[in-house]
Amino acid sequence: MHELGILNALVHIIEGIVRDENLTEVEKIVIEVGELSGVVPRYIEECYPAAVYKTFMEKTALELIVVPGIVKCRGCGLVFNAAANDLHCPGCSGQDLEILGGNDMIVSEIVCR
Amino acid sequence: MDEFKVLQVKKSVFADNDRRAEALRQTLKKHRVFLLNLMSSPGAGKTTLLSRTIETLGNQLKIGVMEADIDSDVDARTIESFGAKVIQLHTGGMCHLDADMTRQGLEALGTDDLELAILENVGNLVCPAEFDTGAVKNAMILSVPEGDDKPLKYPLMFSVCDLVLINLFDVLPYFDFDMKKCVTNIRLRNPKAKIIPVCARTGEGIDLWCDWLCSEISAWRGQ
Ligand SMILES: Nc1nc2c(ncn2[C@@H]2O[C@H](COP(=O)(O)OP(=O)(O)OP(=O)(O)O)[C@@H](O)[C@H]2O)c(=O)[nH]1
Ligand SMILES: [Mg+2]
Ligand SMILES: [Zn+2]
Repeated sequence: MHELGILNALVHIIEGIVRDENLTEVEKIVIEVGELSGVVPRYIEECYPAAVYKTFMEKTALELIVVPGIVKCRGCGLVFNAAANDLHCPGCSGQDLEILGGNDMIVSEIVCR
Repeated sequence: MDEFKVLQVKKSVFADNDRRAEALRQTLKKHRVFLLNLMSSPGAGKTTLLSRTIETLGNQLKIGVMEADIDSDVDARTIESFGAKVIQLHTGGMCHLDADMTRQGLEALGTDDLELAILENVGNLVCPAEFDTGAVKNAMILSVPEGDDKPLKYPLMFSVCDLVLINLFDVLPYFDFDMKKCVTNIRLRNPKAKIIPVCARTGEGIDLWCDWLCSEISAWRGQ
């Protein structure tokens, strides 16, 4: 259950926002998970109820958006989707890649009052 | 009651921790304590390697160890028997340590008389890679029985490590572990990582690992 630790960090971040913005209720959170973040979206969904159990987020819905992992080949400069190409450059089949995006997990927005 | 509204946040889940980690690194720099974060799968040989390390470097460096097992103090006792200062961190079932827990651990360990602090992170290849602990360097152990394709399966872990130790090298004949393939796979994830084969049981390669550690420490001190 490695994703549980990440979700605890997430709950703390939302907690901070609720405090800073004086919110009374968080109806939904929208989270972006990069394909190259090392975080497995399905596990996040499975662990979520356990992570928010008995917290102020118990009734908060979770919406996950998977962000494609975009890389640039250091060999030929081609920019492509890493997962779709199995981490191989479709131009030169090189595997020395620079990550351009999709390696983070971000709290995108929260629906609240 | 107010209507629901949408707040644009755009905040990385890891950002708070990254900030704390950077602050901890600065503090350690001021106190001249080199923090190494050691990671691996369960049972890859972290405690055995650390015991060897204390044997080899114990009389030239003041070493302290933080053991982050989820729920036992077996490793802490082992390390203690080798004569290093050690504390057991209680992770409360967490599968990794973050910068805040590391800072608290260092406080409990006491760093006034330390030159090298080593964190034996929780045995897993996923979460510890996501959370910067504030360490100066990250090292990991890949043991031969785990297979040469681990870098492909856990890319993030391999990309955050400055050093990869390949342990249990003595059992190489019994596994279809291809060292060349393993090096290629590590290089794909991390072209700069140093790779050292070791055998924590017999002590082979330990001198190379200790050399690496000492030269990283003196380079960092000189910065
Ligand atoms: N044959 C052989 N066995 C080893 C070697 N290094 C460690 N071991 C054995 O592997 C087992 C696990 O080693 P540990 O050092 O406890 O591994 P660890 O990574 O600290 O384990 P956890 O803290 O439980 O994650 C022990 O029985 C060690 O004696 C090695 O180089 N060769
Ligand atoms: Mg151990
Ligand atoms: Zn290419």
